[in-house]
Amino acid sequence: MSIYAGPVQDLIDELGRLPGVGPKSAQRIAFYLLKASKEDALRLSRSIVEVKDRISFCRRCFNVAEGETCSMCSDGRRDPSIVCVVEEPRDIVAVEKTGEYSGLYHVLQGAISPIEGIGPEQLRIRELLARIETESVTEVILCTNPNLEGEATAMYLARMLTPLGVKVTRIASGLPVGGDLEYADELTLGRALEGRRQVDV
Amino acid sequence: MRLDHLWLTDFRNYTMAELAPDPDGLTVIRGTNGQGKTNLLEAVSYLATLESFRGAPREALVRRGSERAVVRAEASRDGRSLLLEAELPLNGRDRYLLNRQPLRRGRDLLGALRVSIFAPEDLHLVQAGPAGRRDLLDGALVALHPRNDALRSDLERVLRQRGALLRQCDGRLDTDAESTLDVWDSKLDELGSRWADLREEVTGSLGPLVSDYFAELTSAPAHLSLTYRRSWEGRLADALLASRREDVRRGVTTIGPHRDELDIQLAEMPARTHASQGEQRGVALALRLGVHSLVGTVVGSAPVLLLDDVFSELDPARSAALIRLLPPGQSLLTTAGPLPDGPVPALVVSVGAGEVRAA
Ligand SMILES: [Zn+2]
Repeated sequence: MSIYAGPVQDLIDELGRLPGVGPKSAQRIAFYLLKASKEDALRLSRSIVEVKDRISFCRRCFNVAEGETCSMCSDGRRDPSIVCVVEEPRDIVAVEKTGEYSGLYHVLQGAISPIEGIGPEQLRIRELLARIETESVTEVILCTNPNLEGEATAMYLARMLTPLGVKVTRIASGLPVGGDLEYADELTLGRALEGRRQVDV
Repeated sequence: MRLDHLWLTDFRNYTMAELAPDPDGLTVIRGTNGQGKTNLLEAVSYLATLESFRGAPREALVRRGSERAVVRAEASRDGRSLLLEAELPLNGRDRYLLNRQPLRRGRDLLGALRVSIFAPEDLHLVQAGPAGRRDLLDGALVALHPRNDALRSDLERVLRQRGALLRQCDGRLDTDAESTLDVWDSKLDELGSRWADLREEVTGSLGPLVSDYFAELTSAPAHLSLTYRRSWEGRLADALLASRREDVRRGVTTIGPHRDELDIQLAEMPARTHASQGEQRGVALALRLGVHSLVGTVVGSAPVLLLDDVFSELDPARSAALIRLLPPGQSLLTTAGPLPDGPVPALVVSVGAGEVRAA
């Protein structure tokens, strides 16, 4: 349904590809930008370009990084024998806030969800398995979200990781069910980390 | 459980409307057809179940030309007063507030207000396919324990995820897809078995109640029995494994709670095919009365009764029987015509031209 002039329609189409933005919201944002001052619009476009130019994903754990490796991986004080697996970089922030964890991370960049067309091959799972085989990791903590997709992803990972001889644990239940890690308060998430249990497969 | 006050903004045909029903008697909502009587009941039940009991899409609930509808109600339970609010934007997700506190999830509103709805379409419960009967059981489970809603929505999501995966397989199952399917099967086994157990349990509690109500509603009662029938035998996990090839070939999950049935037998024959229309109406009423009474007993206070145009389809004898059987408590009833003998309204309002007025 292209009823607007070229550039406007292009903008609506681009915005519509963003997660959580439906066609109507895309239209609303596009017209907001049309009315916005030029500086505001340029500032937005500059920060998009900047983030793409300067920030990339860590080659080892796929956290956001301002170089080849992220600040976690390049911090020599962290314990490399434990890897905490999370869905998104923002989950690292949540785990760090608890102050209960000093190992490394691995960011899957999502969770298994066939509805959204995300299978294991769309996630950084192959890279995780490679890390377990080449680094001296003794424990993997599955810290995916306590919702259906997060649980399914944890179960999938447990089945792939256990045969590699590494100890696989899952954060304790008690987090608000159906939620995201980022909504859990530090105390609850800290307790869930502390109370993690080995997964049976 | 009591509804003290209802306010609507841009809901259905109402720009602004309010209603203060009688606290513990019968409130009659009069008006010719198409004036929006049912919309008032729909708004009340939306706050109780977070969906339209008529299955209406969002565009139908928000008044034309408006961006959002707001439904607000003051209710009381055990002497405590609650303010329930739902904002329904034309686009995007609902927003819910309880006592002016925004709720992160809609389901946190469940249980604040409970309703039992009787509508002419209830006949479908008996006549149509099994989906409506499963919904009846699921609705009862959530009304009994609002926590069940989380289980129900996880189960629905597992089924959607598994269905999406099966469609993506396109008839073939490679090792990658197989190990992902294992995970969803294990989740479906866990949640699906639990849900079927719950449905079976609530069917067991409803059976005698529904059978008693049916006996009272009919002059020559035949024995009525309810049986929950699963679409599989043994453990769900094993059954899923056994049906895997078939599921992959057809691209759908062929067994599970979404394929189960609530069998209603009348004199040992299926009510769906062997009962007269009059008997079927009796069965539908008995089912609703059974759920209403079970929820009232377990929760400790009767749900608010919403009776949508129920007498228009009933013969005088059944109307009289229904009036006799309705448990005491707050009720809201819509009608276009006169009421049958029996009920004495505590309050009558009339609806017309998008307004609610004292009659
Ligand atoms: Zn890193």
